[in-house]
Amino acid sequence: MLRDAALVAGKDLRIELRSRVGLNQVGPFAIAVLLLFGLALGPDRAVLAPASAGLFWVAVLLSTLLAVQRSYAIESADAARDGLRLSGLDPAGIFLGKAGAVAAQLLVLEVALTIGVALLYGAHLSGAVVLVAACVTGTVGLAAVGTLYGVVASGLRTRETLLPLLFLPVVAPVLLGATKAWNEALAGTPGRAGTWLDVLVVFAVLYIAIGTVAFGPLLEDG
Amino acid sequence: MNGYVEAGYVVVLGTLSAYSATLVVRERAARMRLGSVSRAAATKAPARGTPGGVGEDAGLEVEGPIGEDGLKAPESSP
Amino acid sequence: MSAPRGKTQLGTSALALRVLGVVAVAGVVATVWLGLFVTPPDEFMGNLVRLLYVHPPMAWVAFLAFGVASLSSVLYLWPRTRAEHFDRLAGASAEVGLVFTGLTLVSGSIWGRPTWGAWWVWDPLLTTTALLFVLYLGYVALRRVPGEFHVRARRSAIAALIAFVDVPVVYFSVEWWRSLHQAPTVLNPTTHKTYVHGSMAWTLLLGFVSFTLVYIWLVAHRYRLAEMQDREDDEGLEVALAERRAEASV
Repeated sequence: MLRDAALVAGKDLRIELRSRVGLNQVGPFAIAVLLLFGLALGPDRAVLAPASAGLFWVAVLLSTLLAVQRSYAIESADAARDGLRLSGLDPAGIFLGKAGAVAAQLLVLEVALTIGVALLYGAHLSGAVVLVAACVTGTVGLAAVGTLYGVVASGLRTRETLLPLLFLPVVAPVLLGATKAWNEALAGTPGRAGTWLDVLVVFAVLYIAIGTVAFGPLLEDG
Repeated sequence: MNGYVEAGYVVVLGTLSAYSATLVVRERAARMRLGSVSRAAATKAPARGTPGGVGEDAGLEVEGPIGEDGLKAPESSP
Repeated sequence: MSAPRGKTQLGTSALALRVLGVVAVAGVVATVWLGLFVTPPDEFMGNLVRLLYVHPPMAWVAFLAFGVASLSSVLYLWPRTRAEHFDRLAGASAEVGLVFTGLTLVSGSIWGRPTWGAWWVWDPLLTTTALLFVLYLGYVALRRVPGEFHVRARRSAIAALIAFVDVPVVYFSVEWWRSLHQAPTVLNPTTHKTYVHGSMAWTLLLGFVSFTLVYIWLVAHRYRLAEMQDREDDEGLEVALAERRAEASV
């Protein structure tokens, strides 16, 4: 299963490296979101800086939607999805591979967003360990749910509107946990982020588990 | 203060009644449509027994104005 | 010719359903009468307590419906218990649950405005209910997507499972979030408790029972509707097939 996962992840990441859609489109989208938040909430850093964590994670959530859509869009050409189904690869492995690729791309994006948030909102980056831990665990959870709902939506004509509707409510705990963990880190009290990191870990583990089991049937149905 | 209480009761009871009403109406409409589809199935499939074998669940009996009698062979000969 | 009244997959005859409906309506009417006229005003909340005969039952049914839909979905997914009626039950319970969840939010909001001075507070139960509402909306939207019965049933069931697992996580995180911002007020928004006794307690109980009966009645009818719609699709298919065959034999 893990070998299949590595295979699929490698394939997705190589496609990304060659096409650079993530770099050219999802990245700029995320930066645009940060800018728009800045415009919406006013130039006063006293307002923006405390809100940095929340705005950062909302930007990540929205970018996840794009990354997942892209992850499945590459399969829709040349009936690649059928090829994936018939390839004999373990569906759990396919799930982990696709989710892993999405997570990897998001983590790279988050580095850029962190810099953006520090620059644009004047966030003081501290508690780096907690920041990174929240990013990793939160992103894994987001990628798992996104990949799972992505395969459901990708076979449907209303996928562009259905995926956000399905995805966003479910990942509310990730938004909450990651934002609060980041808030503690940025406020200089990273020790208080423990429970939030637990929430993120539980969420990630739960949905990786569900994903490995449920992905196969969903892939077949499409 | 009392305005809120009345409003609450009206909204709750009103919504539930409206929803119940729409359910009953939709059911009636579906039943009538089912009747006409069964009639169509009967006239277009002369040599068949009881259609509905595709969607039939164990223990399900036919409901509605057609009952089990309407699904015989048609009267007119081909 | 009058048709023999059939049975539904749930095994309730139309007569039993009628009786249930009558009893449910009677219970609701009794609750309303008791709640509005017979029971005394609360010493703290005044007449606003009367909304508490309605709002908690709404919330209870909302979560009951959610539980039924989730359990039904699991039963559908489990190979040994897989059956069409579980998928239909999940769909029916979800749609009815959606209505009750909306009513929970509205009734809570109406109660909250004079009590806390705001139409909305980020209290754990209300926030979780709001999220439940959106989760329901997604599920119902997913069910509307056309497809072959078992395909649609399976993906809906998995979506229900995803949502079901999510709700406790949501509740826990929101509760922890809110507990960090505990504002010391007399009427703490995080507790919906009030001391009920005597006629108030009975009325509340009656409210719970009556609205649960209403829920069952609504689910039964929604279920039958789904059943008929599925049969209509199948028989429509039969007609199309018969037409094809008729064409071929000409």
